[in-house]
Amino acid sequence: MKNVILLTIDTLRKDVLGIYNNNEMNLTPFIDSLSKHALFFDRFHSSGAYTQASFPGILTSSYYLEYGKPKKLSPRRLLISEVLQRNNITTAAFHSNPYLSDFFGWNRGWDTFYDSMQDEVSDMIPYVSGAQVNQKAKLWLEGYIQSDATKPFFLWMHYMDVHEPYIPKKQYLQYVDSSISLKDNEMFDLFKNTLLKRDISDLKKVEILHTLYCAGVRETDEYVKEFFNILKQSKVLENSIIIITTDHGDEFGEHQGLSHDGKFYSELIDSPFLIIDFEREKKELCNNLVSNIDISPTILNWFKLPPEDKFEGQSLLPLDKYHERGVYGEAIGKTGNHEKPTDLPVYYYREDELKIIYHQEGELWEIYDLENDPEENNNLIDLHPKTKELKEKIYPRINRWE
Amino acid sequence: MDKIKVERNRQLIEKSKQVIKEAFKKYDPSKCAITWTGGKDSTTDLWIIRQVCLEENIPLPKVITIDEGDAFPEITDFLVSISKKWNIDLKWLCNFDVLTACLSHLGNTVQLERLNKRNQEELKRIEFTEDSFVFEAESFAGNHLMKTVPLNQFIEESGTELLFMALRRDEQTARKEDDYFTHKDGGYLMPEHERVSPILHFTERDIWDNTHLHNLPYCQLYSIGYRSLGARSSSNPGDISIPAWEQDLENVPERAGRRQDKEKMMDRLRKLGYM
Repeated sequence: MKNVILLTIDTLRKDVLGIYNNNEMNLTPFIDSLSKHALFFDRFHSSGAYTQASFPGILTSSYYLEYGKPKKLSPRRLLISEVLQRNNITTAAFHSNPYLSDFFGWNRGWDTFYDSMQDEVSDMIPYVSGAQVNQKAKLWLEGYIQSDATKPFFLWMHYMDVHEPYIPKKQYLQYVDSSISLKDNEMFDLFKNTLLKRDISDLKKVEILHTLYCAGVRETDEYVKEFFNILKQSKVLENSIIIITTDHGDEFGEHQGLSHDGKFYSELIDSPFLIIDFEREKKELCNNLVSNIDISPTILNWFKLPPEDKFEGQSLLPLDKYHERGVYGEAIGKTGNHEKPTDLPVYYYREDELKIIYHQEGELWEIYDLENDPEENNNLIDLHPKTKELKEKIYPRINRWE
Repeated sequence: MDKIKVERNRQLIEKSKQVIKEAFKKYDPSKCAITWTGGKDSTTDLWIIRQVCLEENIPLPKVITIDEGDAFPEITDFLVSISKKWNIDLKWLCNFDVLTACLSHLGNTVQLERLNKRNQEELKRIEFTEDSFVFEAESFAGNHLMKTVPLNQFIEESGTELLFMALRRDEQTARKEDDYFTHKDGGYLMPEHERVSPILHFTERDIWDNTHLHNLPYCQLYSIGYRSLGARSSSNPGDISIPAWEQDLENVPERAGRRQDKEKMMDRLRKLGYM
């Protein structure tokens, strides 16, 4: 049985990956080099637009508001790590996202759980870097190899390096745009005065923020490369299936905002999803309309375990058995970086090329025809013949935990 | 113990005593209170304050301990037995209302409607909006209700102006620059008061040297490997079965076995652009 590795890169937009977008930026040369062993999905959706809203989908195959709006992971949710640990599979997690720390209850089911919360970090780089996360995983892998190593493992890695405050290393900024030379504190000022204020009035600044973001992506590609080298040296690379994905994207003014708030436009929820398996000899693209709630059921399938009742998704494989049924997501409609107790939920549903969004605040609806309006600028609510039918999909989800 | 260590210990205690005397110059002992968790630091702190009081004929201020509802029985036993030995009238602060609501069982869900009005209002103050929470001492709601609320209530009701604490500078890098006295402005989260940490300059090593040199009592959990004691569910031993003072105090963080402080995590979120 193969090991399974889930590599999540926080805040990674789909359009920065070369495999999805043959642009000239060349931000992810290493990840692109894996493409000949990749099954990649073109219509993969995040079930939330920020970490707390999206990760319940990834690791518990359930939606953010399934049990109301608790800050901590509800004990009623079942983590994929809990199922695997119970079934004698070694589980390990290495990351640096406070929202996924043991404080919020994400440490359940892991034989090894590193959330970096005991480490000191700076204002400029408020997380442990991908390189450090790699080192933690490397030490763990060495221990795993030295032990009997007969049990397969499930390893979850999560990098924060793309996430704001967008202060990439100089050489990557140079790589992305050599005309920009900013000092760390100048980048930090952009973060504080432009990004945190969600101020898009100066397009030049928004563009610079995007460039800094891209440099972070280029930097992270190096950490992915280093991680794959560690896997190779530990001789587990060929015997592992590796997922590369994200929790959500990032906005640079596409819908009058910055960063990632409670919105459901494509820059935030159309996410990259790659399955790397070295047995695979050819790049393959899958067009199934799928969700991140399908990740955990897929992992169960790889470990030949039966489906879990609490998991709301379905296995992505085999591809022809996947039953398309539209994708959902939800979040709190906060604008800005602070969620207030009075902020209300936002929901989306997508089927085929249609997306409906409902803001409980003000009872606002939006419908977009993604085929003819991929940028989602033209709200067709009440104009589109399927308005009523799509609304019916959302109604049962509103306040359903009450 | 070698002479250098004994001399260092004498100087450390002398400094602490100066700070304590300064505190008693500023505040009447009846307006002071000593916090005591039963851990190694606050026991050392209490021991030095008690010495000053005995030497200077000052009445010992009130001694308080906060029962979070998730205490190690070993700690509770320790507090009871040392209170007797040192003739201390220990005041136990506890938010019993919350314990009643969760049937004193960790992991149980507390329905807000089952809490009294004060506790409900306290949760509103920290912008907690759910209808229930899982009772854990170090959760958002639990931490506030079980630690902050009883302490605030005590400060208000007893008219306390100065709290003796047992923080040490080497506990966290964030404390490197701390002063002995810190003033807490009366904000919406706590009543105004002053705090003093007489053992601020002690290192973890100094605490153990002092404990052994003067035969101070300590909770047995330290001898089986715990280095730092918090709530039961959030503390783990460092090196199992190796007494705390024989572990690598200088290189392994003291709180490695403790779940992170809430403040530290909130600070990370703030730096990432949240909150």
